Amino acid sequence: MTIGEPGDAVETDLSALRVHDATPESVERIRARCLAVLAARRRADEARRERLAPWRAWIEPALALGLGALYLAEALTRAFAVYR
Amino acid sequence: MERDLEVRLVARLKAGDPAAFEAIYAAYRPRLFGFLVRLSRRRDVAEDLLEETWLRLVTHGATLSDDARVGPWLFTVARNLYFSWCRSRAVDATRSSDLAPSWPAPERGDSPFEAVARAELERRVEAALARLPLRDRELLLLVGVEGLNPSEAAAVCGVPAVTLRARLHRAREKLAAEMNRDRALPRAKAG
Repeated sequence: MTIGEPGDAVETDLSALRVHDATPESVERIRARCLAVLAARRRADEARRERLAPWRAWIEPALALGLGALYLAEALTRAFAVYR
Repeated sequence: MERDLEVRLVARLKAGDPAAFEAIYAAYRPRLFGFLVRLSRRRDVAEDLLEETWLRLVTHGATLSDDARVGPWLFTVARNLYFSWCRSRAVDATRSSDLAPSWPAPERGDSPFEAVARAELERRVEAALARLPLRDRELLLLVGVEGLNPSEAAAVCGVPAVTLRARLHRAREKLAAEMNRDRALPRAKAG
């Protein structure tokens, strides 16, 4: 993105600014802290999934069965209503 | 950063992928640092705020929307952290410190003459930017230096895009005036 006509004085002036970076020690410290936070988050997610796994093992089939039964009952009710 | 790549990286970051973090960190760290150090005029403050910005990304990464623009998001957080820092220390953010950050020496490869000329121009631009009001400086940094488009910069600054364009126009004029004044000074001294 340019902020004026290419080659204008302000463009030229701003393009003289170099990209700078934090000190290597800071760069490494920030990276290490962030990766540690990400790792902790992943571990917490996995622990939560493991805690929920036994529940999901029977809740999901039961839910699917229940909804399927409701759907079937409704379909049969409507079919009988047509023939009655 | 290309949009497709950015979307993929955000999705992976939300899942906690360290490689996605590394890619975003490498792409945006120097730009964020440059933005913060030119706002605050202090390397130590810029490094602290840089660290806090990245920690916010990994802490809140899971809540990013799928189509989030990670660059403007990072600049928004960095800018807000800077203004919070100013408020917490009762720093008048509209007045910049005279303390210029100490930059490393120019890159090797330039001839001595080119290196001196480049360093001198850079010094003058840094000084002119530092004399501008903070609101003007941040716009020039976001759009002119960091390459955000006006809509993205408007989102970062929390103003409508139309307002930002008008402010940007005025900021350009002020920087040009400062540079012209700076150019005129040596001639006046010589005369």
